[in-house]
Amino acid sequence: MSKPGPVDEAYEPYEPRRRVPLPVYWVAIALALWGALTLWQDSTADRTGARERLMEANALERRQTMTGSALFAERCATCHQADGSGISGAIPPLASSRFVQADPRVIVQILLHGINGPIVVDGDDFNGHMPAFGSVLDHDQLARLATAVRRTWGPGGIIDPRFVAAERARTANRGIPWSGGAEIAAALDPAIGIQPAYHPPASASADTTALSIARNGKSGGWSCASCHGANGEGRDGVPRLAGQSADYIAGQLLAFANGSRPNDIMRPVASQLSASERGGLGRLYAALASPSTSRSELAGDLARGAELALYGDDRRNLPSCFSCHGPSGFGVAPSTPSIAAQQPGYTAGRLAALARFARSRPGAVMPAIAARLNDTDRRAVADYLATLPPSPVTARKDAR
Amino acid sequence: MNRSLPLVILAMAILAFATVMLVVAPKVQIGREPAAAGLKPYTTEQLRGRALYSSLGCVYCHSQQPRAPDQAPDAERGWGRASIAADYAYDSPHLMGTMRTGPDLLNVGARLPSASWQLTHLYQPRAVSAWSIMPAYPFLFEVKDRASPGDRVVWLPEDRRIPGKVVVARPQARDLVAYLLSLDRTYPVPRSAIRDDGYSRGGATQ
Repeated sequence: MSKPGPVDEAYEPYEPRRRVPLPVYWVAIALALWGALTLWQDSTADRTGARERLMEANALERRQTMTGSALFAERCATCHQADGSGISGAIPPLASSRFVQADPRVIVQILLHGINGPIVVDGDDFNGHMPAFGSVLDHDQLARLATAVRRTWGPGGIIDPRFVAAERARTANRGIPWSGGAEIAAALDPAIGIQPAYHPPASASADTTALSIARNGKSGGWSCASCHGANGEGRDGVPRLAGQSADYIAGQLLAFANGSRPNDIMRPVASQLSASERGGLGRLYAALASPSTSRSELAGDLARGAELALYGDDRRNLPSCFSCHGPSGFGVAPSTPSIAAQQPGYTAGRLAALARFARSRPGAVMPAIAARLNDTDRRAVADYLATLPPSPVTARKDAR
Repeated sequence: MNRSLPLVILAMAILAFATVMLVVAPKVQIGREPAAAGLKPYTTEQLRGRALYSSLGCVYCHSQQPRAPDQAPDAERGWGRASIAADYAYDSPHLMGTMRTGPDLLNVGARLPSASWQLTHLYQPRAVSAWSIMPAYPFLFEVKDRASPGDRVVWLPEDRRIPGKVVVARPQARDLVAYLLSLDRTYPVPRSAIRDDGYSRGGATQ
């Protein structure tokens, strides 16, 4: 036996070489396969996203390049009827209408700005309340639509998009609808003949208190315009107020103030207002004929949105929007709001918020319906409603 | 340590691989992305507000990255469309954040465009929402006996007012509000924009 030498301080023990156990290889191979499979699966998301955007762009293009008669079917036939016969006592006919026969400026101007006032068509009196399409259709679409109407019920001929653009530019600062047949005949084509005179409503004097609250707020508070826009057009998640029913606006202001419609932003300002101020603000916004600034921006399916708005969905027990909110979603005063041209972010958000009341308010109509809409349908219907022309300002809405 | 050289080389190689995949490759991919057409550079006032936003730590509770409908209902929350790389072209450093203790703020200028609302809310969030857990920022404001000309007076609900005094916004508060109101990415997405499609596997659109 030899004497033990000095201890090697630098010595480190190490395992002798041994084969890696087979299960370790299996686990490694299985993990690698799993990783590759996940990567392959995820790579389809890129293609799906691109395909969805392409379909969206194509659908938009189809809507933009729709023929004049298709535009008529979608935008006009609900009221004027597919054969242009109108509805006796309510909607003027287009067939045998002097306004269609007249100078092409007439039809273009009516489409651009709408009508609010008495009008005589084919010997019958109508209380005209035509919506303005100037903010929702472009020159090309308006030109195709006007051409189709004049070709079917008028003297024919082609209306050029440049003509529409020139007419739009000429009356860009108009801001209000044509006040009945008399003004149209006087300003555009006397050949239309004698039309009933327009009498503005007696209560048309400006409510300076309401105007001051809308612009500057009450006693230094947040003003309506600071969020809802100078013309009540709304933006993004802030609702459009222009053209809304006066009683509805006043009613909602009261609901914000007493908490029956919970909203942290509206409550502090609404609870400052007196009943007469609530009414004044309602009348102020009801009378505004601001152009629509709403655009479809939630990537919703417009065809599905139109289906829900016009027909509902029986399988999901969803009634059509228009069955309560009136034709074209223009609202039914006093309690059913206008939903046409509403900002899509607000519509979808409001539907999602209403759904939460479905259980706590079992009798309420809208929460129960909202709860049956899923996310895709909420975005679809909100985006579709944003494409509609704004609710026409009628004398009926500011009756009180 | 045995075989230290191979171990160091291996560790360096793993770090280099991670850096290439997580830093270099994304930089190459989005570094050349031009600013979106509707996006405006920040003004000096807004940049001062942005620096304040960073220093006050807003980013710890507020993200600035709304997500796609397939991933989260951010559009219905009113937070706007899913953001794209081009939305951040002027953000250096970006303030995307990861926590959502409070709402996303990338479009707060569109959602809450009222400067007077923003001032009230910064001075005392509980004056707006009684349940809010956001800290108040009274040091951005000044309590005075009366407002001088040019002062921006902050409106408060009756139960929050200080009798005989007015609350006036200091320049910092106005800068911060200017920055918040500049957060508005509601313009349309350029068709060729780089974006995250990671969640569009047909989920919500099927």
